[in-house]
Amino acid sequence: MTDSLKSLRRCADTIYSCRSCGMCGNKMTAKVPYVCPLREATAGFDHFYARGKIVIARGLLEGSLEMTPDLAEAAYGCMLCGNCMTQCGATDRTTAEPLVDTVRIVEALRADLLQSHSEWVPEGYRALLSATRQYDNPWAAPRSAREKWCKGLDLPRAPHADCGVLLFVGCTIASTPALHGQARKAVHVLRAAGINPAIMGRDEPCCASVQRRIGAADMAADMVRNNVDQLNASGCSEIVALCAGCANMLANDYRAAGLKVRVRHIVPYLAELLEQGRLELRHPYAQTVCYHDPCHLGRHMGIFEQPRAVLRAIPGLRLVERNATGKNTLCCGAGGGMRVFESGVRALDIARAGLLQAVQAGADVMVSACPFCEMNLTAAAQTLPEPIPVLDIIDLVCAAVEDRG
Amino acid sequence: MNESFLRSIRDIAGDAYVTDAPAARFAYRQDASLFGGTDAAVIVRPGSTEDVSRIMALASRHGVPVVVRGGGSSIYGQPPGVPGKNLLLDMTRMNRVLSMNPQGMTVTAEAGIIMSRLQQACNRAGFYLFVPAAPVHTVSLGGWLSGAAGGGGIWWEIISITAVLPDGTVVRTGGGPGTHVRQTEAYSRIMGGPDLTGMFIGDGGSFGVKTEVTVRLLGLPAVTRASILVFRTLDNVLDLMARHVARVTPHPFDPLLVFGPGANELFSADGSSADMFTVMALMQGHTAAETDARRDAFAAIAAELGGEHTPELDALAGMMARAPDQESEMEMFGLGFFNGLGLAAWLPFNMPRPRMAEVYPRLVQWREDRIAEAERRGFECQARFEFMAPSDQCSVTGEVDAFFKDSTSPELRAFVRDMIRDYQEFTHELGLLDVYNQGMMSRLNAGCWSDGYRALYSSVKQALDPQHILNPGLWLDREPGSRSDTP
Repeated sequence: MTDSLKSLRRCADTIYSCRSCGMCGNKMTAKVPYVCPLREATAGFDHFYARGKIVIARGLLEGSLEMTPDLAEAAYGCMLCGNCMTQCGATDRTTAEPLVDTVRIVEALRADLLQSHSEWVPEGYRALLSATRQYDNPWAAPRSAREKWCKGLDLPRAPHADCGVLLFVGCTIASTPALHGQARKAVHVLRAAGINPAIMGRDEPCCASVQRRIGAADMAADMVRNNVDQLNASGCSEIVALCAGCANMLANDYRAAGLKVRVRHIVPYLAELLEQGRLELRHPYAQTVCYHDPCHLGRHMGIFEQPRAVLRAIPGLRLVERNATGKNTLCCGAGGGMRVFESGVRALDIARAGLLQAVQAGADVMVSACPFCEMNLTAAAQTLPEPIPVLDIIDLVCAAVEDRG
Repeated sequence: MNESFLRSIRDIAGDAYVTDAPAARFAYRQDASLFGGTDAAVIVRPGSTEDVSRIMALASRHGVPVVVRGGGSSIYGQPPGVPGKNLLLDMTRMNRVLSMNPQGMTVTAEAGIIMSRLQQACNRAGFYLFVPAAPVHTVSLGGWLSGAAGGGGIWWEIISITAVLPDGTVVRTGGGPGTHVRQTEAYSRIMGGPDLTGMFIGDGGSFGVKTEVTVRLLGLPAVTRASILVFRTLDNVLDLMARHVARVTPHPFDPLLVFGPGANELFSADGSSADMFTVMALMQGHTAAETDARRDAFAAIAAELGGEHTPELDALAGMMARAPDQESEMEMFGLGFFNGLGLAAWLPFNMPRPRMAEVYPRLVQWREDRIAEAERRGFECQARFEFMAPSDQCSVTGEVDAFFKDSTSPELRAFVRDMIRDYQEFTHELGLLDVYNQGMMSRLNAGCWSDGYRALYSSVKQALDPQHILNPGLWLDREPGSRSDTP
């Protein structure tokens, strides 16, 4: 007989580390206007934020709660942004790691629900998994479409020996024509620094971040296992990921599964190139910019300062911060598959709130470093009476870079 | 719960703010305690006093038990009500600041507001709401007044309460609009009638549902100074405490916090001060000169009583010289820190200050005996924490907590739950009462009531709530429809 709570059982330690104090739903300071954007954007019952979800997980483990269809709301109503973990503050005294890993718990809740009652999981999530089975990516893009973005760029293809930097574009950018420009700009910027990146083109695998986040734990594990060998055999010395979700997945899950190649997101990589003097940003950009920390890059990978260093290096650019910034940043609303939850209505509400906070801080432009954030923020911006432009950091760097050759 | 009742509730609060879904309801069956939350048939998040009034009137007509919840941060459990039949009011949607009165130095807020949110609003307006050491990020204003600390620390600053009685009637207490229909401003709660505001403080939510509260404010202090010293004996600490409270009213601006040996072991990297008491005096004022003067006066008394400085503590005191808006960050560290220590056996106390020398060592010894028993059973105590502070001129509040490793063990959770309950029974045998009027503590407290007090409580409860629908069973046993309250 299959264990219908297999994933939750693996998280029992972290589930029982929660003291149910409610900081994850109620805390407020000058720098934390609220903890859980979803609680703010919904009716706010306890199951919409971490404490309630963990109580539910505990009830399932102890047999005092049975799975029912409404469990899907608790399981999928979460951006997996991790702000509740940051604000909880309970850490292991030896390792300083967070004791209550809400992201892991919610992913496990989703995994067990999907495994035992997939019919209760909203259709949108199941469609992403069907697409993965059919197309090897969640966006149902055929392999041939994955290299349209690089037409005419004449980039070296991995695998081959000594291919140096491998630019990992990711399914979202590769499959979304509106985002192709970002990938092309990334190549332009890297070439300006003297780096001609290799790509995998149609053979670039899906990193499995989306699948893992929405609860397809076994599918994601299989994908990671298969992809690790491919990446290790790529011949590259370093993987530079354009997407924050891919970067987080490759740097953490793939590393744990045996990936030997160093992985970085492109923004810290650019920060290093700037510091080494290999990249110069000369063309001014006289705008006031607010940087939105993508959860994958910020809270989950600890990259807060480098994006700001890159932005500060652009002449004329004025950087402002919202009250909730850095580790306290409120998710854009698109994390954890939230663009599917309730047809994306909550995701847009949350993004609008974030944009308005940027406007209040004096920003003319919102900048981020993750295609999910940017798509959601852009969609939300268009619903504002006075839309604020949303750009990727690479857009600004590309505009500011002076090509050396 | 019948469909027409539910439909009426949805009409009142709005469909989105009512749920009877099993998982959503289950999420309310746990709070910050090991004693559990409320088993409710339906959860409602009302948005206004009018919502609450209409809901209570409806519940009263149908005889539906109602349990009220604020931040859900009780350490002794939620009111049980009638398990499986309760309508639970989650008050945290009512979190607005309704008015800030800079001239009169009052703020009126909805009772579901979390204390830190209220504090932030007051700070932004240049005011300060005195909040004693407590988890301000998790406690609601209404929950605090009802039971979180029995209104501890701020009870006298409360000058008016709007409450919905069990039959749905809305009342406003306090001198001012409560007792004088031609006065619109709450300014003193004892004018024009008996102190009925006080009746709702520490009632555990059994007399009415608090929906709005007016609180007096203080000017936001701009300067904080700290003095931190170690003492070798409890006697010297108690002498210091007595002289400190005689010299200044300890609150709002000069709290004195004492950490015992177990706490020192946690804070000190090498455990060098583990067998001592660390005394931290915080002075908050409006100018550096006046605040420095108070710090220096405290330091002089401390020196007389053998207080010792260490370079580490002096450095910490220097770091704490800060503006008050950083306080919440400090508090956040506190709660996260405790949550990281393991499964907590919270063992708080509150007692008349003169009894401290006699009683405190007995409380510590009780804890040590119980820890020894835990270890015989194979449980590991990984931290101890002792803390005490004068809560006013007369009393001292504090804790002698223990923290255990491996919270996944049901046996350990049961052990710690029993430990908390047994400790409270022990403190009651000593004649002490805790500051919490919540969950199982209410029952323990009521078990010690004098006959006269019990009769008075029952008369008031009977008059306000003849069907006993509001938080039934919190203080005394009584199911709806029964004839008398019995402890």
